[in-house]
Amino acid sequence: MSLESIDHTPPPFFRQGISAFSKVALFGLFAVLLMVSDERFKITHPLRSTIATVMSPLQWLILQPGYAMGYLGSYFVSLQEARFLATQNDKKLTLDSLKLQKIEQLQIENEHLRRLLNLRPQLSVSAKTVQVLYETPDPFSQRIVIDKGMTEGVLVGSPVIDESGVLGQVTRVYPLVSEVTLLTDRDQSIPVMNVRTGQRNIAFGNPGHASGALELRFVPPGADIEVGDLLSTSGIDGVYPAGLHVAKVSRIDRRTDAAFARIHATPLSNKEGRHLLVLQQFKELDPPPVETATKPVRSKKTGGAKDQLPALEATDIGAQGVRP
Amino acid sequence: MIMERGKPLLSPVDPLFIWLSLFLTLILNMLIGLGNYFWTPDLLAMTLVFWSVHQPRRVGIGVAFVFGLLMDVHESALLGQNALAYTLLCFGALSIHRRLLWFPVHQQSIQVLPLFVLAALTEWITRSFVGQSLFNWGLLLAPLIQAVLWPVLSTLLLIPQRRDRSSVLDRML
Repeated sequence: MSLESIDHTPPPFFRQGISAFSKVALFGLFAVLLMVSDERFKITHPLRSTIATVMSPLQWLILQPGYAMGYLGSYFVSLQEARFLATQNDKKLTLDSLKLQKIEQLQIENEHLRRLLNLRPQLSVSAKTVQVLYETPDPFSQRIVIDKGMTEGVLVGSPVIDESGVLGQVTRVYPLVSEVTLLTDRDQSIPVMNVRTGQRNIAFGNPGHASGALELRFVPPGADIEVGDLLSTSGIDGVYPAGLHVAKVSRIDRRTDAAFARIHATPLSNKEGRHLLVLQQFKELDPPPVETATKPVRSKKTGGAKDQLPALEATDIGAQGVRP
Repeated sequence: MIMERGKPLLSPVDPLFIWLSLFLTLILNMLIGLGNYFWTPDLLAMTLVFWSVHQPRRVGIGVAFVFGLLMDVHESALLGQNALAYTLLCFGALSIHRRLLWFPVHQQSIQVLPLFVLAALTEWITRSFVGQSLFNWGLLLAPLIQAVLWPVLSTLLLIPQRRDRSSVLDRML
């Protein structure tokens, strides 16, 4: 009797594949690897983008009930409300047209003056209208998803605004949709200027703070800033065009024992709005500085590191002036 | 497995139904997740636990991992965060699947509660590694709600396998 006739592999009934423990170790390790490569090395974008494209029909599907409800709701808006809205809009239109005429006049005047001074005409910024699809279902971050992506030419880093102010910045672009991080996200910051005093600063996102979701840091306690001051973009970062409204100062804590005052501001943009504009970046970003042996001396103004940009620009203009 | 006295004999499961239920709960999860609350129950996690307890040879850790990745992309969370939580969750479910089915369905929910708490804590720990460590008691409310919903979900997902399904449906309606 030879043993060769016996099948040494177990019968199919007992075949279970690899054990559950080795499976969990394998997949757990893979998940950790993915997380590290996502957080540290930022190399998982192709995978994320592929999954997002595969899931886009599902996402379209889950948005339909909401749209249907919205449609039904708007259908049954009472006549009174509609009339009220119409009168309000009329008022707003007249006010706006007044402002618009003023702006046109100012623009013409400005152009004349600029030509007179032989300055570079300010770059006009092209914009795309987009719609908000949904807020990302993650209570820890402040992001929204919009309905245009790589195929429509949305670029990473483009500023996003609505009719009342800056809303945020495009941080991820998928083929069909893209993701906007709001100014109030904890990782987001924006260079601003106090319109009343011309003082520059950087506003940081501070979600969950009751008295204003933006925070100005490193402001000396004696600085000239008041509750209600309007903050607009300063335009020195090459991302946000100058002069867009950002926020209103809502609370100032001047403490005698601290080196800086704590200043909170409320964003002006409407977080619940649906139609947005994605602006094109108006300036190519400078390449990151090359590490050299001698480190450049940093300017110690309130604006911090971003204050170096206007200095660079000034040297550029100087160099152009020398060339002819 | 030795049958307990008085337990209904179930007919074999239709694989199509498993996948259908998983995709439906994925869609449902995506939909109710839009409300953006901490305490939203994770229906997909519950369905994954259910199938890895009842059909451990069809649904297991690999499936959980893939569905976790899908949720990660939808939430635009860290890639692998939900995948890790679901993987551990399914492993836990597989390790208790022989014991769990000896209990009546309302006692099962006490046994699956630690699994859901473990998954929620895993998610919170991975978040705190990347600096999003905002702790909220709502995070622990979600596993509780999931445990409370467990008997409902178990009963619903077992209906197609029951031989007396028409009478069960009649009783429910």
